[in-house]
Amino acid sequence: MKKILIYVFLISFCFGGQIFNPDISFILDNSYVGRSVEDEIFEELEIPGLYHPHHNFHAHSHGLNKNNGFNFNYGELYLYSPVDPYFDLHVVIPFSEEGLEIEEGYIVTRGLPFNLQFKMGKFRSSFGRLNVQHLHFWDFSNLPLVYKVFLGDDGLVEKGVNINWVLPFPFYLSLGLEVLQGENEQSFGIKGFSAESISVEDAKVPNLSVGFLKNSFDIGNLSILTGLSFATGKSRISHLLEEELHAFAGKTKIFGFDFTAKYFINSYRYLSFQGEFILRNQKGKEYEYDGNQLYENSVSKVQGGFYSQLVLRFTRRWRTGFQYNLINKNDVKVNDIRKDFPQHFLSYYAMLEFNPTEFSRIRLEVGQNRTFYHEGKKKTINEVILEFNFAIGAHGAHPF
Amino acid sequence: MKKFLLFLFLNISFSFAELKVVATYPWIGELVKEIAKDKVKLYIIAKGTDDPHFVVPKPSHIAKLRDADLIVIQGAQLEIGFLPPLLQQSNNPKIQPGKDGFLELSQFINLIEKLEKVSRAMGDVHPEGNPHYHLDPYNIPVLAKVIKEKLCQLDGKNCEYYEKNLDEFLSKWNTKLREWDKGFERFKGMGVISYHKIYDYFIQRYGLSLIGTLEPLPGIPPTPKHIEKLLAGAQNVKFILQDVYHEKKTAHYIAKKLNAKLLLLPHDVGSFPEIKDLFSLFDEILRRFNQ
Repeated sequence: MKKILIYVFLISFCFGGQIFNPDISFILDNSYVGRSVEDEIFEELEIPGLYHPHHNFHAHSHGLNKNNGFNFNYGELYLYSPVDPYFDLHVVIPFSEEGLEIEEGYIVTRGLPFNLQFKMGKFRSSFGRLNVQHLHFWDFSNLPLVYKVFLGDDGLVEKGVNINWVLPFPFYLSLGLEVLQGENEQSFGIKGFSAESISVEDAKVPNLSVGFLKNSFDIGNLSILTGLSFATGKSRISHLLEEELHAFAGKTKIFGFDFTAKYFINSYRYLSFQGEFILRNQKGKEYEYDGNQLYENSVSKVQGGFYSQLVLRFTRRWRTGFQYNLINKNDVKVNDIRKDFPQHFLSYYAMLEFNPTEFSRIRLEVGQNRTFYHEGKKKTINEVILEFNFAIGAHGAHPF
Repeated sequence: MKKFLLFLFLNISFSFAELKVVATYPWIGELVKEIAKDKVKLYIIAKGTDDPHFVVPKPSHIAKLRDADLIVIQGAQLEIGFLPPLLQQSNNPKIQPGKDGFLELSQFINLIEKLEKVSRAMGDVHPEGNPHYHLDPYNIPVLAKVIKEKLCQLDGKNCEYYEKNLDEFLSKWNTKLREWDKGFERFKGMGVISYHKIYDYFIQRYGLSLIGTLEPLPGIPPTPKHIEKLLAGAQNVKFILQDVYHEKKTAHYIAKKLNAKLLLLPHDVGSFPEIKDLFSLFDEILRRFNQ
């Protein structure tokens, strides 16, 4: 968590080569998983109206804890350094067993006037609370359900720009705007498609706009952080290459509200509550092909849910917590007729964590996931995950 | 709305009136207060009861850093766990490392326990040396001058005022130094054990002898094996120096076993409610030794 930073000004006095090397760190994440369903079925699971498995498209998706038994989740290389007095540069390169990609690579300004800050490149969007955080900083080993269904397994990671402003108030208030390419596979997407008699044009780019407002204040030892987020863009989602052809073209709006309350008992102990509510509104045309005929339907979806979690750090090295996930709105109308989809999906997890230092963590998580369906039938999954996470090198401290 | 705008405007116009200073730790804040008195608006991030290594980067601090003209930090990587993200999120170019509004006090001190080769296998070590230098009272005048220089640079029109305050502070401090020298004289050569290597500068200044630490390695909590080893090798230990933020059970146990006195010592202003300034910090340490 700790390391280097503060000597940028030393650099001007020292002309030794290695002092110009960026901060380099590497995070390694492995797990052992016991799951009540087989891996082949787990890959096929879906959530009616909300989530379909897409195999062929994201080879390097994080896909955490995918298999029963041992998993190599990821190895992530981080690079950070000031470019010059005006820019900081960050790069995040996750390695999977299949290969590597550049998940993030962006610059942030160091000295814009009027308390503004500008970010450019490919980065995790500041939408919501958890999205901007890296996986190894999460309190649980699984992605919250609302993130999985609305933003996808990797979250909202996009190419674009971000500008944020810290307002002149005695408490923390920050306002931000992002203009992004909008390629997110779960809710947005820019590539048009054509099949049989239909042809949908590419979405105009940049396709996605995100706005966010974050506010924080303290009441004694209690820190409150809240946020409001909004994302809007066109959607081009096509799985025309798969066996069951289906595609969607339309408009999507996502609203997010997050709330964190953290009570600090002392330097080492705290009790923290965190929750995020996400609501998605989609309108457009759905295309389905059953082998003989192509159907074109107008669809409108209003879907939403939340996760909430309680985490207690009860000694310097131990934490425990509980996370509750619920999707309680799944209104899908096709040609103005309401689909008979299930409305409630839930999952819950409990975790116990041992952190020998800030650089190593062993986490045991057990939970039940009652969100998935397999061949039209509900499939309850019981899970046990033992996760090992280690960090080496100069890794910058995490924000709150 | 008009009233609100007026309030905003007044807020902004006031911000030109006085220098806004953020200090990471209370002792630094006190030192700034001694030199600047009422001429600056001061905000302190950590509390005297916090473990200085584990301060939380609360977003509420960002609101104060946003407007700051100057941040004064202890340095030597002590703040590395919380300050970088706060500075980065403050969107304030004036106080970024390398700028005039960024003052790292460790740069002006000869740090002890510098390490040639560093590895995390050695625990939470600071490659530049031990960062807890403020517990040697002889380092305080050096830093008081540094802070005066910085205030004069940023706020030239009040420079004479700062110089006057510095002179007053130094003459009071020098009197106190003689008092403390005399007071601690009789503890010279005595063996002590501390929880963490936080009192090393103090120990070195007054000629105490550090026999060992309760932590097997910096930042690693005591283990039964290490304590056993410590007990076996410890001779002539008179005091166990315990800070206010770590657990105290181990220190009690060791003190009993070695027939040594357990001293619960402040490490910063505000560690105990009665420690209101830098003078009472060292007065209180001396008082607790004499108790």
